[in-house]
Amino acid sequence: MEIRLKGISHSYRDGGLKVLSDINLSIREGEIVCLIGPSGCGKSTLLRIIGGLELPSAGAVLQVGDPPPTSLNPLTYIFQDFALLPWRTVEGNISLALEDHPIGRKMRTEIIDGVLARTNLTEFRKAYPRQLSGGMKQRVAIARALSVNPAVMLMDEPLSALDSQIREILMADLVELWCRENFTAFYVTHNLAEAVRLGHRVAVLSRRPGKIREIIEIATPLNQRSADSPELGRHQQHLWELLRDEARAADLELANV
Amino acid sequence: MSDATIALTAPAEKPVRFRGGGFRTRPLGIISPIVFIVVIGFWELGSQSGLIGKLILPAPSEALQALLELIETGNLWKHLGASLQRLIVGWTAGTILGIGVGLAIALFSYVRAGAQPLVSAIFPIPKIALLPLFIIWFGIGEGSKIATILFGTFFPTVIATYGGVDNVDRTLIRMAQSFGVSWWSIVRKIIIPGAMPAILSGFRISIAIAIVLLVAAEMIGAEFGVGAYILLAGSLVATDQLIAGVAILSVFGLTVAWLIGKAESYLLRWRT
Amino acid sequence: MPFISRRQFKILAASAAIALAGLTGFAEQAAAADKIKVGALRFTSHSASFVAFERGYFKEQGLDVEFVFFQAAQPMAVAIASNDVDFGVTAISGGLINLAEKGAVKVIGGALHEEKGIDGQKILVSKAAFDAGVTHPSKLKGRSYGITQPGSSFHYMGHKIAQKEGFAGADIKFKPLHKVGAIIGALKSGQIDAWSIVPHIAKALVKSPAIHAIGDVADYIPDYQVTTVFTSAKNAAGNRDLVKRFLAAFSKGAADFNAALVDKSAGAKADEDMVRLVHKYVYTNRPFEKAAPSIRNGSMRINQGAKLNLKSVQDQLDWFKSEKLVSQAVTIDMLVDKSYVQIY
Ligand SMILES: Nc1ncnc2c1ncn2[C@@H]1O[C@H](COP(=O)(O)OP(=O)(O)OP(=O)(O)O)[C@@H](O)[C@H]1O
Ligand SMILES: [Mg+2]
Repeated sequence: MEIRLKGISHSYRDGGLKVLSDINLSIREGEIVCLIGPSGCGKSTLLRIIGGLELPSAGAVLQVGDPPPTSLNPLTYIFQDFALLPWRTVEGNISLALEDHPIGRKMRTEIIDGVLARTNLTEFRKAYPRQLSGGMKQRVAIARALSVNPAVMLMDEPLSALDSQIREILMADLVELWCRENFTAFYVTHNLAEAVRLGHRVAVLSRRPGKIREIIEIATPLNQRSADSPELGRHQQHLWELLRDEARAADLELANV
Repeated sequence: MSDATIALTAPAEKPVRFRGGGFRTRPLGIISPIVFIVVIGFWELGSQSGLIGKLILPAPSEALQALLELIETGNLWKHLGASLQRLIVGWTAGTILGIGVGLAIALFSYVRAGAQPLVSAIFPIPKIALLPLFIIWFGIGEGSKIATILFGTFFPTVIATYGGVDNVDRTLIRMAQSFGVSWWSIVRKIIIPGAMPAILSGFRISIAIAIVLLVAAEMIGAEFGVGAYILLAGSLVATDQLIAGVAILSVFGLTVAWLIGKAESYLLRWRT
Repeated sequence: MPFISRRQFKILAASAAIALAGLTGFAEQAAAADKIKVGALRFTSHSASFVAFERGYFKEQGLDVEFVFFQAAQPMAVAIASNDVDFGVTAISGGLINLAEKGAVKVIGGALHEEKGIDGQKILVSKAAFDAGVTHPSKLKGRSYGITQPGSSFHYMGHKIAQKEGFAGADIKFKPLHKVGAIIGALKSGQIDAWSIVPHIAKALVKSPAIHAIGDVADYIPDYQVTTVFTSAKNAAGNRDLVKRFLAAFSKGAADFNAALVDKSAGAKADEDMVRLVHKYVYTNRPFEKAAPSIRNGSMRINQGAKLNLKSVQDQLDWFKSEKLVSQAVTIDMLVDKSYVQIY
């Protein structure tokens, strides 16, 4: 399944605040597209629009082809702040995503067992969120997302609440996961290093109202990228140059609001 | 010069003054029984020595005597049974209705617009003032007594419930929607558990109100009941029985507070 | 300054008072007047004190009276025990007896009295009960009966009716409703079957089709001593002179009242004057024309010389004991100081 954005524009406060302007982009199956842009340019808004949680003022989000029949929730989010229910255990939180689907108790336990194993969480299944570190919580959120067998994962800065070591580990986990499962993802981030490590393509948004300034392709396969690769360094440098002026201008703009 | 000496000697080392602490209570389980015992002890001493007149306040031992009499005659169980039944039925009904209406106010804009001002208008009415009306509406049997307690507990529960729902983390609801969780499941699995801390602290208040209203409720044709017992003691100026009855209400309050504490530590075990 | 100062005013007022006292001829007593507080309800049955006050009988006895008004008899007994009030008039209640047992109050005389031939308290039933056949007090067995609280005079009356009609008091279902208003509401809406109440309220109620009168309390409790005069035990024992003077003035007021409104032996003018006097205290929120019939309806005999029917008091005390509302140890001597008035 592929996602195609056609001429998406969006404004808040009855047109008073224009956030997105004419976004055209497609995400191919099995591809991770990273989206970077200065703060407040509308990245989260765009993600909500793709996920059907918000209606764009203009344009449309198209779904090309059908999701695999085994997919319980084709478009699945992973949130920056994990969004785990504090009153449910790890397995309870994963179960929440499955309970409204007619799959039977046995099947549900099987799925939960499976995703817990894939995210190395099996021994924590009875733990409450408050007992987990930030990295663990995000792993639970990833496990929950995997449990519904998504066609496309929509990730809104999933690693930015974590410290850099955990971020490095989880990034490696995601790469490994992708190599096994080849999932499709739309990955919003602030962090250029993350973008060049995880993205097959990286889309750069301008400051508000967000427009696509450039889309770069990174050819190196995900499992061959490393933090000190010179090619990635070049890409990162290029992205930074694109962003720097936008970020500076955006910063001043916000200060004037 | 002193300046020179300071400059020459090595700077003195001293620990940074501790400025944290306070504003945090520790559980000190033994304090409250000690306070109870000390207060009652002084009271008994005062009565025995004649410092506290017999008419002004009966000695705790006299109140205890009245309580023992109640137990001997077996009337204690009749009074307790009658009152507990009224409290349980009235409070449960008020709570269920209150949570229902509170949820409706929190979830549906039309209900909120319509019912919220109504709740604010009726909540502060002293239910005792409505007793004559309650008699006409619900009769002098159990109906009016239960209705009094029900009305008293309903409104604080409504307010606690919709306040609790309003404070549920919206990102959790968003998350559930993003997983295609149905509306009713969101209410059951996210909104109600999320509002539970507020609802439980609402219980503390509504139960206290229910106990306060018990005496008022039992002004309506009650033969048995702790409230009726207290009212009778008051009209007979039997101050020892009065204190005994009031002590029973206090025990009600303590028991209920303890039960809610238990319920909280079970239902909210996910909190630290 | 054009105005007189506060001090000058005081002097002026004092000299005016002396002049006035001299004029009315009891300067001596007025100068040495004892200040006392008298508890009262705004009921016609409390008129003896009102008359004594209005006609200067208290003054004659050297008493400077201040009324303290209550909503119910019960707190009045407590106020006497706490020395907030010196004298009061109210029905014998469990509270009064318990306070007497604690050595706080003493009954010193009688006031309101049931008497055959004079309109007294009435037994009322709701329309529903009347239609169901409760047309006579003998049919009250198994019926509900409104009382303010256990141990009230209503409770006693219900029991005495049962006794005379030959069934147990427990066969009447007594419903404590705590407020006269609540009882009236419950009777009107048929939630209770029966009640007994003083004539002025009864007569107003039977005008409504929802309530019927089926008998007189006087037929069941002959010579019922409904209310008594009481004071603190301290006054009764240590302040005999003061108590005597109070009773003397009170009796004089009672005599005027009986003559004008109960025996009607003093003529139409006295009747009119008396009703006007009482109206200063009772039904003050109603115009005179509306209040006058109620005042006349409520006129029951106040005992001559505050004499006390000890037999009736004893009967009431025994009933309280049998109902276990008061301690078995209470004796009539703890309750009554017999040394002040005629006992019969
Ligand atoms: N529900 C809303 N109502 C009104 N304005 C909104 C709403 N959501 C977002 N905005 C505004 O729209 C703009 C874009 O918000 P959005 O959250 O999409 O930015 P972002 O690119 O995700 O920013 P960040 O990098 O800080 O996460 C911001 O100026 C924000 O204040
Ligand atoms: Mg964002």
